[in-house]
Amino acid sequence: MKIAQHTDNDTLTLALDGELDASSSVSLDTELTKPDILSYRKVMIDCQRLNYISSAGLGVFISHLQRFQDAGVKLVFFNMQDKVHNVFEILGLDSLMTIVPTAQEAASV
Amino acid sequence: MLPLAALSWLALLACMLLRASPASAAWIGVPPDWLILVTQAVFAAATFTHERFRPDRLRGAEFVPLLRQLLFWPGVLAGVCALLHLAERLLSAHLPERGPVLLNAFYVINLGLFVYFLARTCYTWRTLVFFRANHRTRRQWLWFEMLLGATLLFRLADSGAPNWLMLPVLALLAGMGVYLSAHQQWVAYLNRRQKWEVVFLQLAVLGLMAVFLVYFLHLQQDPNLAGPLAQHAFLVLTSFFAGFYAVMGLLVTLFNLPTAGVFEQKREEILSMQRLSQLIQKGQTEKEVYSLLFDSAVHTMEADAAWLDLTSDGSAPSLEYQIDPPTRQGINRLLTDYNIGHIEYLNNDLPNSAGFRALGLTYGSLIVMPLRSSNHHYGTLYLLKELRQGFERENLSLLHIFTSQTVVRIDNLRLMAEALHNELVKEELKIASIVQQSLIPKTLPVDSWFEIRWHSLPAREVGGDFYDFLQLSASRIAIIIGDVSGKGTTAAFHVAQMKGIFHSLMLLDKPEKGQPLQPSKFMAMANQALSHCLERSSFITASFYIVDYKDRGFAFARAGHCHTLYYNAITEETFYFQTEGLGLGIIRDASYEKRIKNMYYDYNPGDVMVMYTDGIVEARNAQDEEYGEDRLRQLLERSHYLEAEEIKQSIIRDLEEFSRGLPPFDDQTLLVIKFKNAQPLV
Repeated sequence: MKIAQHTDNDTLTLALDGELDASSSVSLDTELTKPDILSYRKVMIDCQRLNYISSAGLGVFISHLQRFQDAGVKLVFFNMQDKVHNVFEILGLDSLMTIVPTAQEAASV
Repeated sequence: MLPLAALSWLALLACMLLRASPASAAWIGVPPDWLILVTQAVFAAATFTHERFRPDRLRGAEFVPLLRQLLFWPGVLAGVCALLHLAERLLSAHLPERGPVLLNAFYVINLGLFVYFLARTCYTWRTLVFFRANHRTRRQWLWFEMLLGATLLFRLADSGAPNWLMLPVLALLAGMGVYLSAHQQWVAYLNRRQKWEVVFLQLAVLGLMAVFLVYFLHLQQDPNLAGPLAQHAFLVLTSFFAGFYAVMGLLVTLFNLPTAGVFEQKREEILSMQRLSQLIQKGQTEKEVYSLLFDSAVHTMEADAAWLDLTSDGSAPSLEYQIDPPTRQGINRLLTDYNIGHIEYLNNDLPNSAGFRALGLTYGSLIVMPLRSSNHHYGTLYLLKELRQGFERENLSLLHIFTSQTVVRIDNLRLMAEALHNELVKEELKIASIVQQSLIPKTLPVDSWFEIRWHSLPAREVGGDFYDFLQLSASRIAIIIGDVSGKGTTAAFHVAQMKGIFHSLMLLDKPEKGQPLQPSKFMAMANQALSHCLERSSFITASFYIVDYKDRGFAFARAGHCHTLYYNAITEETFYFQTEGLGLGIIRDASYEKRIKNMYYDYNPGDVMVMYTDGIVEARNAQDEEYGEDRLRQLLERSHYLEAEEIKQSIIRDLEEFSRGLPPFDDQTLLVIKFKNAQPLV
């Protein structure tokens, strides 16, 4: 699992590459726990290369959801593969989180 | 051999006495010279052979007791010899007519004692020669013995054998004796005190030989001696060898005395290394092992000050020996500045190094020795000496061995602790597994209007999947299936919680009062209950059903759980229920209830409902493909007409075929319900 960071003004983009399982979700959690992340207006998660997400990986996003909301930081997922989207959908997260098909749409949210 | 020696000695005594007293000789006859010589030779040969085959008297490397033993009995014998000589003088003064008889009797006794003494000495020397000797030396000794034996015959053939034949052989034997006397390796194994003791013991042995020698030389001139003297080549050569070896041993020991200190130090080092390696393996705690290392290092290196810094991850405190904190901190800081704080380092001239001179140390030499295994740094040992050039290169390698052994032991201790801990954890897991097994319903609800079958396979000892049933009344049954995020023990705890929540909330179901429990309400309340005990990153998915025979239908809600697979026997369609619903514990306020939907469905006899966890549809094969919802649906399309048990079996079989022996990656749980066209039993 690789996490590439890209900052553009008030937007932070994290590109996830690989499988987000129990062990790799720890490093993602470390990234999302950093206090300065709350200074962004928007955090975009690029899921183009995310092949698999385990419940532990979902747990990381879920645990930060409330914190982001309280701080007024928007969390947007984009470029999600069908397989991964299905996991979000079954769990009901698609209605709770902002998931859009493309980067353009994510930028305009 | 001993009886032969005794017999020949008695024969010799008899011969000599006969010769000394003409009166009895006239009566029996005068024994000839050759008979005396033969008895002498037989006696010597028998005594030597007897000594030769005695078991080795040397125990380990206990040379001093060996020499003491040699000295004690022969020493007593020499005393007896001197006493006998004096007694003979006294008696013959009082009984002049008996003089020759006494003299000859005592001569034979003394000769016996001397031969025994020689045999003892020669074979004690053999033990010393053989100490750490190779095969060649042993062969040389054998030749020496054989040639010596041959010289016994020389005297018998005295008249005939010409001198030119005997002389070279005698010279050769004397040479061999000298050569063999050079084997004095044993001296090196004595310490200083033992060497002094050995010097005196050797002197005493030589003194004893001198007593006999003086006696025999003195006797040679005595006209009263009745028989030929036993001064044949054999005794002369053995005496020569015994004497020469003692002299050589004495000299070697004497010359070794000045260097005994150095040898002793080296020996001490080796011994303490042996001691340490044995002790260290016995050290039961890290603290004990480090103390052993520290004490041995300080003692062996004769350090004037020392300390042992340990990294903080261990349980042992750092150790100190005669070092004051400012010096210690100063040296530590300096080594860190030089960036050599954790490598092997030897400085034998501290006053000449600018950095150390600036510290104003009273020490001249320093060794720094890290304690390191291939992947771990345990600490660093520092030794100081006041002398310059205080440590040698060998000290460094010796210390290296000390520290390596310590590190091996510490590694072992830690591995052992870890193994023990793992064993405990395994044991606890076993208990958790047993507890969880007891939570799984053992008896299925049985009724005539439906058939239910289950299958459950946890990926580890304890799993995160759960399911439960509750027969609410004859016509109503509640079913729950779910999955706690994560695996293992934590998940298992939440499974137990869910079971409690399920059974508690079912008490709220009161259909007789017109208040049946709505599945969405059930989920909302479960979510509320869980929000207090579920950690923030955990969540639970569940599907909850209440099947009612009277209504011929069921109500259900899905909280983020896998879609339920259904076969409708009227429309002959196989499909998944597409309902919305958020997993439990994802949002933890009242707004959750809005995100969960109730669904009602009328069932027909012959309908099949398949409930499962993601371990089933996400099972993978060697090509890393998922089993998938589609394959499951297609399977049910083909097998819906079977009984619930057979449908369950066909799914398990298909799953096994798909994963081809790969172990399950996640817990797998499967429930199959088939509705029947029959009345409830009750």
